[in-house]
Amino acid sequence: MLKLSGRLPVLQNLNGAPYLATVTKDEHLAPDQKQTRALLMSEGMNPIGFKAILTKEHRRVSPGQDSDVFQLREEFEYLCDGDIIRLDPSSGSMRCLYRRNSDHNTILLTEQCDHYCLMCSQPPKRIADSWLLTEATELISRIPQETTCLGFSGGEPTLYGRAFIDLLTHTKTCLPMTAIDVLSNGRAFKDISFARQYAAIQHPDLLIGIPIYSDDPVRHNYVVQSQGAFDETIRGILNLKSLNQRVEIRIVIHRQTVGRLVKTCEFIARNLLFVDHVALMGLEITGFTRPNLEVLWIDPYEYRDVLSEAVGVLNSYGMHASVYNHQLCTVNSDIGSNYRKSISDWKNEYLDECRACSRIQDCGGFFSSSKNHKHSKYIKPFR
Amino acid sequence: MSDNMTTSTVIFDGNVFSLNAVKKAAYRHLKAFTADISIIDKQIQCVLTFPTPLSEKGRLQVENEFKKEVLDQDLREQLHVETAAVRNVILAHAFSKTGLTTDEPVSDN
Amino acid sequence: MSQFQTIERYQPTRSTYQLLPFRFTPLDEHQYVLTNLAGEYIVLNRPSLHDLLAHRLSNVDPAYIDLRARHFLMDESAAITPTLLSLKLRTRYQRLAEFTGLHLFVVTLRCEHSCPYCQVSRRSQDTQRYDMTPEAANAALTLAFRSPSQHIKIEFQGGEPLLNFPLIQTIVLEAESRNQTLGKDLAFVIATNLALINDDILSFCRDHAILLSTSLDGPKDLHNANRPRPGGDSYERTVRGITLAREVLGHDRVSALMTTTEASLSRVHDIIDEYVAQSFNGIFLRPLSPYGFALKTRSYHAYNTERWLTFYRQGLDYIIELNRRGHDFAEYYASIILKKMFTSDDPGYVDLMSPAGIGIGAAVYNYDGSVYASDESRMLAEMGKDTFKLGHVLTHTYEDLFTSPALLDPLEESFAYSNPMCHDCAFEPYCGAEPVYHYAMHGDFVARKPESEFCRRNMETFRYLILKMENDPFAKRLFLQWANR
Repeated sequence: MLKLSGRLPVLQNLNGAPYLATVTKDEHLAPDQKQTRALLMSEGMNPIGFKAILTKEHRRVSPGQDSDVFQLREEFEYLCDGDIIRLDPSSGSMRCLYRRNSDHNTILLTEQCDHYCLMCSQPPKRIADSWLLTEATELISRIPQETTCLGFSGGEPTLYGRAFIDLLTHTKTCLPMTAIDVLSNGRAFKDISFARQYAAIQHPDLLIGIPIYSDDPVRHNYVVQSQGAFDETIRGILNLKSLNQRVEIRIVIHRQTVGRLVKTCEFIARNLLFVDHVALMGLEITGFTRPNLEVLWIDPYEYRDVLSEAVGVLNSYGMHASVYNHQLCTVNSDIGSNYRKSISDWKNEYLDECRACSRIQDCGGFFSSSKNHKHSKYIKPFR
Repeated sequence: MSDNMTTSTVIFDGNVFSLNAVKKAAYRHLKAFTADISIIDKQIQCVLTFPTPLSEKGRLQVENEFKKEVLDQDLREQLHVETAAVRNVILAHAFSKTGLTTDEPVSDN
Repeated sequence: MSQFQTIERYQPTRSTYQLLPFRFTPLDEHQYVLTNLAGEYIVLNRPSLHDLLAHRLSNVDPAYIDLRARHFLMDESAAITPTLLSLKLRTRYQRLAEFTGLHLFVVTLRCEHSCPYCQVSRRSQDTQRYDMTPEAANAALTLAFRSPSQHIKIEFQGGEPLLNFPLIQTIVLEAESRNQTLGKDLAFVIATNLALINDDILSFCRDHAILLSTSLDGPKDLHNANRPRPGGDSYERTVRGITLAREVLGHDRVSALMTTTEASLSRVHDIIDEYVAQSFNGIFLRPLSPYGFALKTRSYHAYNTERWLTFYRQGLDYIIELNRRGHDFAEYYASIILKKMFTSDDPGYVDLMSPAGIGIGAAVYNYDGSVYASDESRMLAEMGKDTFKLGHVLTHTYEDLFTSPALLDPLEESFAYSNPMCHDCAFEPYCGAEPVYHYAMHGDFVARKPESEFCRRNMETFRYLILKMENDPFAKRLFLQWANR
């Protein structure tokens, strides 16, 4: 697992307030470019004029009078040219916001949410964090246009209302070729005028992923811990589809959802056949999942037949369906064409016994959190 | 042969069952019997005539099926009345000019 | 964790619920089938049904949860339900208006076969009398292109249509030429016994993307007994024709239909095996229609509905087992019904449409220029009852034909939603009005349904399919695939 954030020893603090910087190895930049860059320092470089310097060396870099200087620890050595980081010279905190060589860049827009899902991987906080939106806006201006895809997640990004729409418009302007995935609970779109604002962006490649955890509204509301959620989410999806927006339905499979998984897929096929994609996802053992593990955990191997049946329903209706976050040895072979290697590169790992597996190349592997906390008892290398 | 019957009488309480429910149930069974239906003191009296004589057991079976069907028909009527309003809402919505939503975009695209 | 609420907290605060419109019909001794406005079904036992109707069903009862999720009832936790139901209903009727217009051209009534069950054909050399004229064909084409549907399927029928192949060529070329400006989705089918197929015909079919639909009644002895022709080699010619046609046109461009006769009834496994042996992906286990010679020769009465149902059930069971053993093979009559059960699409199958498919789903241009509302209608006419004759291609306009009382009266009268018994039947969303059948058998468009073999046959088929799915998860999964074929 890559560590995307942490504290770095501050060797020199000049700027005080936090800022974004693009990582570079090129010492020969124009002076105004240097002011937006963090130089990955190596032997013999001239670091003069950079906003920040990242050095593996203990000793203070000299002369460097106009730069913040951070000591780059081993776990961040993956940083490379073109990555974008946030640096806080007063605390030394560093977060990697964008990795150029990754297809799994997700931008956290807020930690506030009107749901409180039993298995939330990013537990909501009730603190004002609109600076995240400001930061995201600047970040997007910096991200190169060649970027193929980018995700926005939360919390619930639509809580920003108009400012969320503005961010997407900004993204379309800066990154017209980049596919954008948004994660939302979809409730805000129950308001058709908000849905229209979203549609009016006319983004060429925008997909919104919205969870439906059960065909039983009571169960869905329980899983997301919010009264009235099911009705508003469904209405939101209907509004978005009436405006020809691309919608993905996401179902996290756990003990509270697996019992009606097949019926939920039948419900989607009968009522929401027009959605663009359905994702059936394994549980990530992080965030709220850990305190709720008792009520949530079911070994994927135990529900493999249910998963096959659910996928069978969606396939029968010609829907696009994908199985995410599962290991090949825990699923039946009949879901083969729906199986995806989906876990973001930075939190994707394999067990020791997996090294002997002949199909490791095709397998999605584990969340680091699963490897560390809980995974199927039936992991068995293919020979 | 003396045990076998060609007719039988079934009576329904007119306070409980509607005449219409009894008629519909009789229609559904017209291969099994023809029914002469009359109302006497709020009692719906059905004289069933079978095309071929039936044993006691056979007669009871037909009568039971008929009674079950009258009850079903009565329930269908209740259901129909109870759901008439919501049915009209759904049908009106289904065949109105609007699209997927309750608040339809006026001029999108 | 105290910060999380239990599921009980999300139950509706009031225990009252609103019933939504649905219909119910007994499935077997203990259970009922319920269908909602959108044609979705659910199976309930009798006590649960009574509890439901009496508002006694508890909101934590598993049946309650299913009924709410499938839109048979609603409570405050699911206010979206009427919207979803409206949407499904809307989709269903939109699809109904969009299905393919099927236009049957009877290019000749002549045939070299002399099948005893055949509804219409003539063994005759009299081309003057039994072939369609180019003028009539041209006028029929004009009518076909007047149909509002974007999809037009022209099917050549007979007799044996290949006996008048030059007319087929003329019609295909003319249709393609007219369609250059109209841009409709145009498809052609020839319904042929393939006995007369040759390379020239196949080349033409290939060049004009024409599908072939042939007749295969089962194994050699059964097929040849059913379908006599000079030389007694109908089977050999059909099989040879299938092989040849697949080589030239492609495997999936050739389909086959079987006719059930009394001799078929004990041999459903043999018949299916023959279809498997000929590499077909499925079979249509058809009941014998009551028209034409079939009715005259009394072969229709040679077997009754109960025997056909046994035949059908045995066949379906056998096909399910084939699939269980890994062999992909479908039964098409079930597939049509299942599509109606599980999707908002209408398969556009004339027998199972309400309003009736006549005129809407199909129009027949007969060899003599007369226009009928369905294939069955012209068969009935061959028996001397031209009740469903809409008019003539040379003397009537499109408006005359498709607003004629011969079409509108039976359509209106037979509309199943308003018929006695159909009106409250749970199977109505899956069934059809079929005024032609009922007219042929009972003398009126509706008939008393308790006496209708059509009603009985279909009700039992619906029940059988639903029971199969209730009792066999494999069958459920398979049927869902058939529904979406």
